[in-house]
Amino acid sequence: MPFPILHTPFVVLSEIINILEPNEIVTASFCSKNMRRLLKNHYQRRKPLEWKLIMIDYAYCGQIDIETSEDDDRITVIAEQPYRFERTTLESKIAFNTEFLELYFEDHEMGIKMIVEYVTDLFNIGVYGLDIDRNGVWAIDWISEWQEKMLARFEFYKNSEIRWNGDATIDYVLRNARASDYYNVEDVVSNTFQFDGKLGPMKQLYIPSEGQWVTLNNLINFNANHIVVRDSRLSVPGLYAFIRHWSAGGSPQLTFLKLEFEDVTDFENFEEQLEVVETDVVGDYRLRDRDQDYHFDNGCSIQRNDGVKAVIEFDIFHFVMMVFL
Amino acid sequence: MSSTEQGTSSAAPAEPTTAPESAAAPEVPESFYYVHGKDKVVHKVSAGALQHSALIHGMISNLGYTEEQAKANPFPFENIDGDILQMVVDWCNQHKGKPTPPEDTNLPKQKEKLFDLVLAVNYLEIKELLTYCCKQVAMMVKGKSPEEIREIWMIPTDAEDEAAEKEAKKRAGKEAAGETAAAAGDAK
Repeated sequence: MPFPILHTPFVVLSEIINILEPNEIVTASFCSKNMRRLLKNHYQRRKPLEWKLIMIDYAYCGQIDIETSEDDDRITVIAEQPYRFERTTLESKIAFNTEFLELYFEDHEMGIKMIVEYVTDLFNIGVYGLDIDRNGVWAIDWISEWQEKMLARFEFYKNSEIRWNGDATIDYVLRNARASDYYNVEDVVSNTFQFDGKLGPMKQLYIPSEGQWVTLNNLINFNANHIVVRDSRLSVPGLYAFIRHWSAGGSPQLTFLKLEFEDVTDFENFEEQLEVVETDVVGDYRLRDRDQDYHFDNGCSIQRNDGVKAVIEFDIFHFVMMVFL
Repeated sequence: MSSTEQGTSSAAPAEPTTAPESAAAPEVPESFYYVHGKDKVVHKVSAGALQHSALIHGMISNLGYTEEQAKANPFPFENIDGDILQMVVDWCNQHKGKPTPPEDTNLPKQKEKLFDLVLAVNYLEIKELLTYCCKQVAMMVKGKSPEEIREIWMIPTDAEDEAAEKEAKKRAGKEAAGETAAAAGDAK
């Protein structure tokens, strides 16, 4: 039975719009220009401040996701698909997959730009995060020119279909992509790849794999509170040097550092190398700014020159340092 | 329970009958009020059930009715169909003094009445029931394409909107011309 929604009082209409999920709003906005105008006006009055819009260009497909709550559940609201897989002669095509609209474009970049502009304009919000692989690097410059506000989140993924080294691309990404809260970089690089620039400031830097390129200098120059590097090749003398740098007041923003080594790493004579204040530190310690604990089984604490303490734990596979500011 | 449900409805507002309340009668006698819709059928509703309606609750607080006065002067809601008012009264009775659950299974099932129910509930300012109704309206378009949504929510196409706008302009033009002609006639 039809329901004449446009004939409902303003309060009722607002309440219905508030109940709809963002993907349903986007789909409804395609009903007519009038409907789109009405929905846009709703969000002009009530900006959904808690919503986080993520622009995605991964595996040759574009997508807009929105997180509406703190639990990080994402809702895809619209997608862009490459037109060449379609056998139609139409210029563009719209399909619906029961959850969100899929728009087909001949020009992939233009398609993604269009859906980003459409959704940001509809909801009156900016782009919060950018998720890309090597083919989406164009979006870094586009976003920084297109919106004043810095991204809060940036994620650069390894595309399993691209197996060759991406040294130049990763270098470009590390120099140009900026995010205030979360920065994730993962891609295949050559053994000779080096990065001599700076990263940050940011809350969290995460290198989930292929972190062989991270050197002592990189670690010193990363301006992040929380750093995790996997496949690290940092040497033990390098780590000692980093701890001395920290003890002397370097990297003052650092609250957590975790390195997972690519190869077995031996921390021989650790206590002789550094002034250990306390040994056998065991227990759960709350990570700063996060609702998570880190469990130490066999930590030892060291102290900075200004009295700030850190707990360190290591074995042949990993090294962890948690600072207690 | 409304009096209509007990088979005691009356077209005359002066003779509403009291529905028997549950066996465990409250120590303090509950006060009752009377409402009628477009069909003039009077429903007897307890003050507790009427608490759901901010409009009626406000009227009661402002008017300071006694039960006798309330019986003689039922609240008239001429803009609400009798069957819709019955649904609203039933819902208020079912949820009297109870915390409203997040999902309501007692919502009226007749979808064809949903629009009128929404208007009535909005008018009577029954917030929880309005939220349930709006959820039902929102659920209608879950997993639907723009074309399907357009049908379900009776949204005119761009072409229909343009045609309606043209028509409205034409009508406005004619009316303006008519007024000008009438004014000229008056001047003569």
